[in-house]
Amino acid sequence: MELDKLMQLPGAMAAFTYSDKGDLQEHVIREGTEITPQVLDLLAHSCVANQAVAAMEARGWEALTGQGGFEPLQGFSVVGMEWSVVVNGNCGVIARNRDVDYEATFNALQAD
Amino acid sequence: MHIVKQLMAIPGVIAAGEFAYRGDRFSYEGALTDEFARMASILCRANTLSVHMQSEIFDSFAENCGCKPVQGWIVRGAKISVCAVGNYFCFIENRAELLNDVMTIMRAKVGDVRDDLLVNLYAAIGGDTQEALY
Repeated sequence: MELDKLMQLPGAMAAFTYSDKGDLQEHVIREGTEITPQVLDLLAHSCVANQAVAAMEARGWEALTGQGGFEPLQGFSVVGMEWSVVVNGNCGVIARNRDVDYEATFNALQAD
Repeated sequence: MHIVKQLMAIPGVIAAGEFAYRGDRFSYEGALTDEFARMASILCRANTLSVHMQSEIFDSFAENCGCKPVQGWIVRGAKISVCAVGNYFCFIENRAELLNDVMTIMRAKVGDVRDDLLVNLYAAIGGDTQEALY
């Protein structure tokens, strides 16, 4: 995973990878932002949890409604006040809301 | 124009709706049955409250880090995505630029979600979170 490449996405403030359990592995934080490694570590754990919940919901939704199109999931994003975190698999990007391009970010995470 | 109607006017939007505090009050338009819309409302409310709880934890470690209060969330599926901003949700097809457009409209129309989301959601159905349970 090339974090430097992800940092070129619009509004990117940080990029990070994490283990299947949510432990922070690699990270890059843009200088001058409020993001700290501790926040990234907590965020990584929540990313694993949110993706697992979303996968369960997608599978349940498809089974109950017969509506396909969710699985396999291609990511999850939480939109905060100032920034959004966009994740897929074991990698995530934090991007400033005023600049973020959700589609480009999901696509970049999907490609990597 | 009401946000749900405005969202439904966009090609590629499958359904859009609004949910309330308990998740059992909702309104919607689009390709969902009443029962599926009810399920979607409950699911969206649960996810919304979950990410709000998470942001409270982040904020306790790094005050004013920029995540709180959470404005919404997105689940990106293979062909369909679900977006939620405040107490509105939207099912969309994965078409080029649609996700960005929908999120821009939802953020602009819903406005900034404040810290008291739970209070606001409950108040929307006439409830009072200060009310004694017993």
